[in-house]
Amino acid sequence: MAKNQEKKSFFESPVGSFLLQNKALAILVVFMISVACISPIFLTPSNLLNLIRQIAYSAILGAGYTMILSSGHIDLSIGCEVGLVGVIMGKALVADLPIPVAILIGLVSAVLLSSLNAVLINLLDLPPFIITLATMNVFKGACYIYTKMVPVSNLPAAFNAIGQDYTFGIPNQVYIMVFMMLVIAFILYKTKFGRYSLAIGGNAEAARLSGINVKMMRIGIYALMGLYVGVAAMTLTARSASAQVSAGQNTEMDAIAAVVMGGTPMSGGSANVVGTFFGCLIVGVINNGLNLMGVDSNWQLVAKGLMILFAISLDVISTNVTRNMSKKKMA
Amino acid sequence: MSQEVILKMEGITKLFPGVKALDKVDLELRKGEILAVIGENGAGKSTLMKVLLGIHPADEGTIVYKGEKVQFSSPLDALNKGIAMIHQEISLIPTMDVAENIWLGREKETMRHGMISKKGRYEKTDEFLKQMDIDLDPKALVRTLSVAKMQMVELVRAASYNADVIIMDEPTSALANEEIEILYRVVRDLKKQGVSIIFISHKLEEIFEICDRVSVYRDGHYISTNDVKDITQAQLVNMIVGRSITNQFPKMEANIGDVVLEVRDFNSAGVFKNVNFQVRKGEILGISGLVGAGRTEIMRALFGADPKDSGHVYVDGQEVKIHSPKDAITCGISMLTEDRMRTGSIYALSVKQNTTIANFREYCSKGIGVIHSKKENKAFEEQRGKMEVKCASEKQLISELSGGNQQKVLIGRWLLTRPKVLIIDEPTRGIDVGSKSEIHKAISQLACEGMAVIMISSELPEILGMSDRILVVRHGEIVFECDRKEATQENLITHAFGAEAESA
Repeated sequence: MAKNQEKKSFFESPVGSFLLQNKALAILVVFMISVACISPIFLTPSNLLNLIRQIAYSAILGAGYTMILSSGHIDLSIGCEVGLVGVIMGKALVADLPIPVAILIGLVSAVLLSSLNAVLINLLDLPPFIITLATMNVFKGACYIYTKMVPVSNLPAAFNAIGQDYTFGIPNQVYIMVFMMLVIAFILYKTKFGRYSLAIGGNAEAARLSGINVKMMRIGIYALMGLYVGVAAMTLTARSASAQVSAGQNTEMDAIAAVVMGGTPMSGGSANVVGTFFGCLIVGVINNGLNLMGVDSNWQLVAKGLMILFAISLDVISTNVTRNMSKKKMA
Repeated sequence: MSQEVILKMEGITKLFPGVKALDKVDLELRKGEILAVIGENGAGKSTLMKVLLGIHPADEGTIVYKGEKVQFSSPLDALNKGIAMIHQEISLIPTMDVAENIWLGREKETMRHGMISKKGRYEKTDEFLKQMDIDLDPKALVRTLSVAKMQMVELVRAASYNADVIIMDEPTSALANEEIEILYRVVRDLKKQGVSIIFISHKLEEIFEICDRVSVYRDGHYISTNDVKDITQAQLVNMIVGRSITNQFPKMEANIGDVVLEVRDFNSAGVFKNVNFQVRKGEILGISGLVGAGRTEIMRALFGADPKDSGHVYVDGQEVKIHSPKDAITCGISMLTEDRMRTGSIYALSVKQNTTIANFREYCSKGIGVIHSKKENKAFEEQRGKMEVKCASEKQLISELSGGNQQKVLIGRWLLTRPKVLIIDEPTRGIDVGSKSEIHKAISQLACEGMAVIMISSELPEILGMSDRILVVRHGEIVFECDRKEATQENLITHAFGAEAESA
């Protein structure tokens, strides 16, 4: 009992409450220290630069996903959509279209494909989970048929520079990532569109009765997700200098894990964009650290799964602590 | 009634960080009595019950139950020793039948030959139902039952533990009048069998109808306990709020002007038919009738929340087409819906965000819609002051507010849309007496300012006290219309129940 009270007062102290609100950061620091202790290479500038390059793609997807989850939706199709959009962009590039045009074609098709999810959800009145499970398979199959399972390579060097070159010593991808995160944060916190999508995530029926056109908003939300999928596909394709047919597969799950670890609840209604960045870093540090330690790639999957479980359990525990505290304040 | 005391809580103090939730509070329950526990939201009633059931241990004070000093470790512990609590929200499993729900967790008691036995379960349930004289089919699936029947199942379950004390938290808040009568009968039967009942309620009429004594709590303090027959409703209200509410329905005389809204030939197959009515500027139009008569459905169709088959709406004489709540708001019609939790409050958002959501575009730039925070804050502060919302800050989540305060926030939300017609559905359900009166005052004030108000309510005193004109809805049709002077409790009830009741 005495110990219990001590614990409560810790979480009410400034340090404790900061940790509660930025759990992902706390978890990240713990993971980074552990990895740094085991592997001396981890904290070298070149490895850290490598790490940030690795997470740029997932942070872009995660940024878009923060909006999807906070608006009470889910999208299982984004991973396979990345693959499909990547090959569309790649095919356009090898057809010798100007690079900006090829990128635009990729982005537009990404927006259309994602909007299709929303249109189907609206028309069939089915849960997003089911619709996007179906479109995920459609996108995957379409990508295989379109490419006949052959990756698109020999992309122009100027395009590959997006994912491989540096400007002022910082990878180009990082600029794109920061820009895309700032954009989503601006939309979520500073615009009507963001407020409406949070309201829909909090209580869709109450939002509708408050005069919000939920169906139109849903199309907008998924279209925006599509834009993020397009940009992510662009950086991934440029980084690997080719459009792989199975690129992006399963990354939707990493995105969900990162967003949730970052403090955006799966139930919707609130969003934490900075948290998503930390969440992506956690997943990145886990991958990077396990690589440095030379862990077998199959075991890496197991370890990654367990660490995500660990991070999310911590999150649930700390959320309960917060809830109990606010309950007591109210009583 | 015996004077034997079965449960006595004395000097109970409960501290939460920064708050004294209970300050030396007492409670005395006699054997075979129905004791009302009443107080505004936040008075400490639920905390006191949580202390009793062992959810929150008391910091000071003693609990004496059946002559022994006790400290329950959990609600289950309390239940095993004979204290059962029926919560406001029904906690049954809808996909199981009545008998399964009653014996859930105690399947052993109905087993035959060491195995789960349907026969044993049904027989044992029948026995209880007969004993309590309740008409229920033990084989009926709970999800097919009415709310009242579900409440009966909860009561039978509590009684089947051979409970000596049953705590009921606002058992009638979701029930229609005729269902309440059945509940009262069962409660009285339990009392005859010597069961003591703690009845938590916001409805004053109910306390005078069924309870023997009433204990009042306010702001974490114990105020008093009185025999119900020794006090008047007005005295009780004074004790609850600690100030005197001179007029429970502070209806002000408003100037009634031109017709603002006219509804013609509204039809929706199987829901309502041939609905025609008008509302004038400054008028409060009360909509009375039984729960399920179609009152809410008509108004939801008018607001564009549900589709209708046919019908015309005229605002200021001009026909308008309403296909969604958005259209309705644009035409100057707003609606405060009935179910605050499901369709009103957006729990994940703050008080401010909840207030400004319905006319949010006014605080955003044209084009990409950048939020103008100053405008938004100003609008919020204005409504916060006007509606007297009690909240710690604009950033506080609405879910942390009491029911009455949430309702004020939601009324503020609709006022910001500057409606010509405001529809309010059950504006004070589940709200404490003090907030209730403030909400009534606000509604009356709006009418004085020239707004037309349509108020659906199941509480007759509210309808009679507030309305200028009253419509009664039965089976989806408007069956009766009268003005303030002609309206009586009797004629409204007669028409609400219809011909059957008239001939009876």
